Amino acid sequence: MIEYIIKIDNVKFKYDKNSSYAVNGVSLNIKSGEFTAIIGRNGSGKSTLAKLINSILLPTEGKIFVKGMDTSDDSKLWDIRQTAGMVFQNPDNQLVATIIEEDIAFGPENLGVQPEEIRRRVDNALNTVGMYEYRKRPPHLLSGGQKQRIAIAGILALNSECIILDEPTAMLDPSGRKEVMETLKKLNAEGKTILLITHYMDEAVQADRVIVMDKGNIKLDGKPKEVFRNIDEIKKYGLDVPQVTELAQELIKEGLKLPPDIIDIKELVDILCQ
Amino acid sequence: MSIRTENIKYIYSEGTPFRTLALDNVSVTINQGEFVGIIGHTGSGKSTLIQLFNGLELPTEGKVEVDGTIVGKDKKELKLIRQTVGLVFQYPEYQLFEETVAKDVAFGPMNLNISQQEIDFRVKEALELVGFNYNKIKDVSPFELSGGQKRRVAIAGVLAMKPQYLILDEPTAGLDPAGRNEIFNQIKKLHEESKFTVVLVSHSMEDIAKLVDRVIVLSKGKIHMEGSPKEIYSQAEELEKIGLGIPQTASIVRELKNRGFNIKQDILTIEEAKEEILKEVRRRNV
Repeated sequence: MIEYIIKIDNVKFKYDKNSSYAVNGVSLNIKSGEFTAIIGRNGSGKSTLAKLINSILLPTEGKIFVKGMDTSDDSKLWDIRQTAGMVFQNPDNQLVATIIEEDIAFGPENLGVQPEEIRRRVDNALNTVGMYEYRKRPPHLLSGGQKQRIAIAGILALNSECIILDEPTAMLDPSGRKEVMETLKKLNAEGKTILLITHYMDEAVQADRVIVMDKGNIKLDGKPKEVFRNIDEIKKYGLDVPQVTELAQELIKEGLKLPPDIIDIKELVDILCQ
Repeated sequence: MSIRTENIKYIYSEGTPFRTLALDNVSVTINQGEFVGIIGHTGSGKSTLIQLFNGLELPTEGKVEVDGTIVGKDKKELKLIRQTVGLVFQYPEYQLFEETVAKDVAFGPMNLNISQQEIDFRVKEALELVGFNYNKIKDVSPFELSGGQKRRVAIAGVLAMKPQYLILDEPTAGLDPAGRNEIFNQIKKLHEESKFTVVLVSHSMEDIAKLVDRVIVLSKGKIHMEGSPKEIYSQAEELEKIGLGIPQTASIVRELKNRGFNIKQDILTIEEAKEEILKEVRRRNV
């Protein structure tokens, strides 16, 4: 039997009685260990969906289960947030302590974890995101990419199985974005479930699965290659495709024989250099 | 007419253990009519530099001149300089606060001691400059708008001050691709049709490559390189070394070239890449 860490069953949500549905009948199952990217224009319902999974919001209709726990069950709130931790867009809004290792210890301390165990978790988390040598420094002296890695380490210290990230790279420079993506890929390889909301198509192509949302619904769902070959449809939803995909399709229009689902540079270069 | 900085240094938290040299001996000139891009890693000094351009911060050493006036010398002139050099901050939509779009855009000019008629005229003009239909948008609450629309309203608020120079700090961060295009098309129009001098700070190498005439690259508070997008983006290794990158199209071309494909190196757009690849493929097939 496949184990789904997140099960979303026909969920609808609106922010208040008179507004329209921000999430409008979404059903989605996410396997344990999967790396999923969610893309969609501003207002398509991506962030709302993430907050529903994390039990920050509760569904107006339908049910969400995180590792079998109903997100509308009050008594499970802390277990749910521990299982599926969230990283937000602005790195400056989510670090709380004046020293990095204290910031990472903040979560487990609140859970009543024993001091020796906290020490072990903090060191592990810092090593995993490659920030151990910075542990004694104040967070405000870090770059944006480093701050996001600290935010991720904070979730690792809670032993979360699933990490949900809402545009974690929107405020980062190219190398900061690369740092965060490499950290996520590493964590995924170690078995963590990753749910990444992003506006960067070149990040989405690195996931196992891409979900396109529009107007509160899922419009496309599949492997990056399956999703990004639909250039016209993707553009209709206010999105874009990687430049390499667009270039390949332009070349196809001119009569070149190329596969329609090229999403990485190497693939295109290999074919052209044959 | 220009914005000039001469050997400026800017030091944060002087006299504390956190003393940081944010800008170190920076001399740049932004000429009227130009479209200049500023790129650099986080913490490279980009945002500090543009805050010096309009006197929001004053340099620790060196001087900044706007159209010949030294910034900060006479406090009374600061107000005029801030009007001449319009600064749009990151996430400007967080600064919207009025009940209607028109009131929000009017807030700046209302503080200028000009007639109501002139204010109304400026509000209308500014909203139209960023692509809105004035009558349709004026009474809408800014909070009902999409992310891209909110940003355009915030930019209109700066335009209503009638600046000569428009400086934008990451104007598309957090926007979806359609919102990004919406903002950039408007900025391009402001530059080409309304002749604004534009300085764009961005982390998107694709957008900088597409839009600007000249790129200033900052690294660790110093000017690292300066040149046309083609000159700058032909130095991929150098850019990667300082935490930046090149547009994906430029990476494709570079990889092709490395593998012996006969193609020129300084290509930045998909359109140009397509033409050059087709040329070579057809040449081979003949």
